[in-house]
Amino acid sequence: MKLLDGHGGFLERTIEGMHAGLERAVAAEHSAAGGGLLQRLDARVKVVGLLSLILAAALATRLWVIAAVFALAVVLAVLSRVPLRVLAARAWIGALAFTGAIAVPALFLTPGVALYRLPGLHWTVTAQGLTTASYLLLRVITAATLALLLEFTTPWVQVLKALRVFRIPVVFVAILGMASRYILLLLETAHEMFESRKSRSVGALEGAERRRMAVGSAGVLLSRTFQLSGDVYLAMQARGFRGEVHLLDDFAMKRLDWLALAGFAALAAAAVWAGR
Amino acid sequence: MHIPDGYLSPATCAVLYTGAAPFWYVALRRVRKALHTRLVPLISLFAAFSFVIMMFNLPLPGGTTGHAVGIGLAAVVLGPWAAMLAVSIAIVIQALFFGDGGITAIGANCFNMAIAGALVAYAVYRILAGRAAIGSARRVMAAGLAGYVAINVSALLAAIEFGIQPLLYRDATGAPLYCPYPLSVAIPAMMLGHLTIAGFAELTVSAGVVAFLQRSDPSLLKTTAGRGAALAEPAAGRAMRPLWAGLGALLLLTPLGILATGSAWGEWMARDFSNPAVQHEIAATSFQQAAPLRAPEGLARLSQIWTAPFARYAPPYIRSAAFGYLLSAMFGAGLIVLACLTVGRLFGRKEPAT
Amino acid sequence: MMLFETTHLTYRYDRLTAVEDLSISIREGSRVALVGANGSGKSTLLRILDGLYFGQEGAVRFRGEELTEERFADDAFAFSFRRQVGLVFQNADVQLFNPTVFDEVAFGPLQLRWPKSEVRERVHEALERFGIAHLKDRVPHRLSGGEQKRVALASVLVLDPAVLLLDEPTAALDPRSQSQMIDLLVEWGGGAKSVITATHNLADLEDIADRCLVLDGGRVVAEGAPAEILRDRELLERTNLVHAHRHRHRSGEAHSHPHIHSGDVERGD
Repeated sequence: MKLLDGHGGFLERTIEGMHAGLERAVAAEHSAAGGGLLQRLDARVKVVGLLSLILAAALATRLWVIAAVFALAVVLAVLSRVPLRVLAARAWIGALAFTGAIAVPALFLTPGVALYRLPGLHWTVTAQGLTTASYLLLRVITAATLALLLEFTTPWVQVLKALRVFRIPVVFVAILGMASRYILLLLETAHEMFESRKSRSVGALEGAERRRMAVGSAGVLLSRTFQLSGDVYLAMQARGFRGEVHLLDDFAMKRLDWLALAGFAALAAAAVWAGR
Repeated sequence: MHIPDGYLSPATCAVLYTGAAPFWYVALRRVRKALHTRLVPLISLFAAFSFVIMMFNLPLPGGTTGHAVGIGLAAVVLGPWAAMLAVSIAIVIQALFFGDGGITAIGANCFNMAIAGALVAYAVYRILAGRAAIGSARRVMAAGLAGYVAINVSALLAAIEFGIQPLLYRDATGAPLYCPYPLSVAIPAMMLGHLTIAGFAELTVSAGVVAFLQRSDPSLLKTTAGRGAALAEPAAGRAMRPLWAGLGALLLLTPLGILATGSAWGEWMARDFSNPAVQHEIAATSFQQAAPLRAPEGLARLSQIWTAPFARYAPPYIRSAAFGYLLSAMFGAGLIVLACLTVGRLFGRKEPAT
Repeated sequence: MMLFETTHLTYRYDRLTAVEDLSISIREGSRVALVGANGSGKSTLLRILDGLYFGQEGAVRFRGEELTEERFADDAFAFSFRRQVGLVFQNADVQLFNPTVFDEVAFGPLQLRWPKSEVRERVHEALERFGIAHLKDRVPHRLSGGEQKRVALASVLVLDPAVLLLDEPTAALDPRSQSQMIDLLVEWGGGAKSVITATHNLADLEDIADRCLVLDGGRVVAEGAPAEILRDRELLERTNLVHAHRHRHRSGEAHSHPHIHSGDVERGD
């Protein structure tokens, strides 16, 4: 669910959203090419390692364990040259705002031991309410941080190829790769369509007109999508595609990778054990 | 409406991943059979389109804006199986690449929006559109409603998934470990936003783009128009779809049974008769007729013959009663389905080739 | 035996006839330009020659073998053909469909089932040859037009085909990239290789072809050496390859006369 912020028309906000998406992709690519700790590891180690930490944080039934995994994630981020302000801007603020809003009523609604009564209103914060809100918030930002770490330390294509570790069929990896390649193109196409419509519309449009504009853009984009898919199909055939998907990856485990894998495994196992 | 990490327990996420997997598998097989080598470029490009559509801020009546998933449109244009795949791919990319929606929750999000959404949207569209001409207004309306109903079903599923969390997963102090809101809060909260804003966003996209395509590129609407189209299912399969969806929904609702207090009338065990609390209950529900103080002989004898593997609907090794309840329901339903399919296979007549 | 030979080839889609009753032959080792304005059928013809489209009437032969859909259903034939004939599409967004440059160049060899170690070697070689090794992990979307074209060429030429089909190779390129492109083609084309280029860019004709086939409305309307064709002003105007339009000189004088567009960059006097 996206929070509706009230200012700017739908065009502006859509354009902003698309622009933010494109910009995030660039930032992630740039960061993944940097020289930090995680960047040096084999993509498979990162995928397995970071996902197992997310899982450990999800399984924990003690707050301090989740907090510990979060702290670890932050340390890894710093070591991988992903600065705190990037984490804050891209992972924490959105997650906290959204989940914060969701968690607040739980403070009062969760049955349990009363802790504090709000003056004026007859709402009581319970200990269990506090605990449960903390669980939610901590888990959300821990998972968001770890996911961002994966995104910002590993080129997207390598993340995809590393997914083969989970026995995901090659055809899905190929589709994920091609889809993400064309997302950037379609985002830009849509962005341009909206920018040009925005520059051509003088004054505010009526509701129905605006809807028609949005829907019309979607329709045009859909036709373009089908056309592109037909042409890409020809281009694939021209290079010998007969339906079989082949992947070539450059993965090779070095000593550092094995060490890192062992490290992740140990930490995740410890977190799961401590949090059970 | 993408569920982030942390709201659903790993167990729930695992169940939904395993629930989604067979659908992905079947979808891949069917789409491959229908599209052959076109599978990769078509699904990839449509997934990319789906992703972009999810970013559209759609202006809605009343001055609000909302986001659509585009599942209604996908189901109408591609058919349920290809739509399921394409939107799943978009959801995976959103989670992994754009940090939108949780990674552990990918199975859940795909199950709710891509899988259930595609099936429901397709069923509603086919039922409402009937045999209307491709360019007719009836199809536009059918598409719009298909999107609307589908997204609301997705929201209901998500609400149920949220709502059973505090029921099943609490820590030692009784604090919910994941989503803290029970069904009585989760369902109204989710449905309010979706019956209104998100539902209308979906309706706008589905109806609007279908209307647009009717004018600009009607060939794109042929696939799901019926009459032997490439991705059409055989007649019986089509009609079954809403029923499967219904069964699935009911399965997920089974833990609600836990909320019922006491035991069902007549379902008493041998040792219940010596329990004063149960005695009282029996009398209260039997027009004040008291039950015998000891279990009737026949009952006691017969009750020793068979010990159910999942006694009291909970396998002994599952500590949480509610989760055991859910597992039993799925197991039971699965057994029944399997039995019916087997009987059907063995004794049913072959369908005439269409 | 001719490299390509078409007999009364006709191709229609929707209600358009893109190629009509076309009978041409192309020799091995030749450099041919299919010249025509947009919509003249030259792109369609290239795709038919590459076994991507199949005409409703007539026939196409490649080294004596007829190209039909049934023939391409045979793996052995298809692989052999795809190895020998390469097509570079006009639109880089269509040609470059893989997530990275490396994957793009590796796609062809992988499809032809070359062993992975050999694929890696050949890909690195091709990347070096086209000067794009430093781009190997880049996303095609954010490359410049010239870089994209080099990746496109590398991804086709890594298979070392005997025949290269090019659809508007210099379209959408800035002048410098255009001339680099021509150089690359000229260099590669020397020897027993055959090159068939579809273009409406008359300025490059003499560099890239020894023989021109002028197309208009899906038919061949003229044939000859580039110099001959370029001299025939009437033909060029008739087939929409040049046009007369009004423009104003700096002195304030306005008039119209035919002139040639160089690629997409207009140069008036």
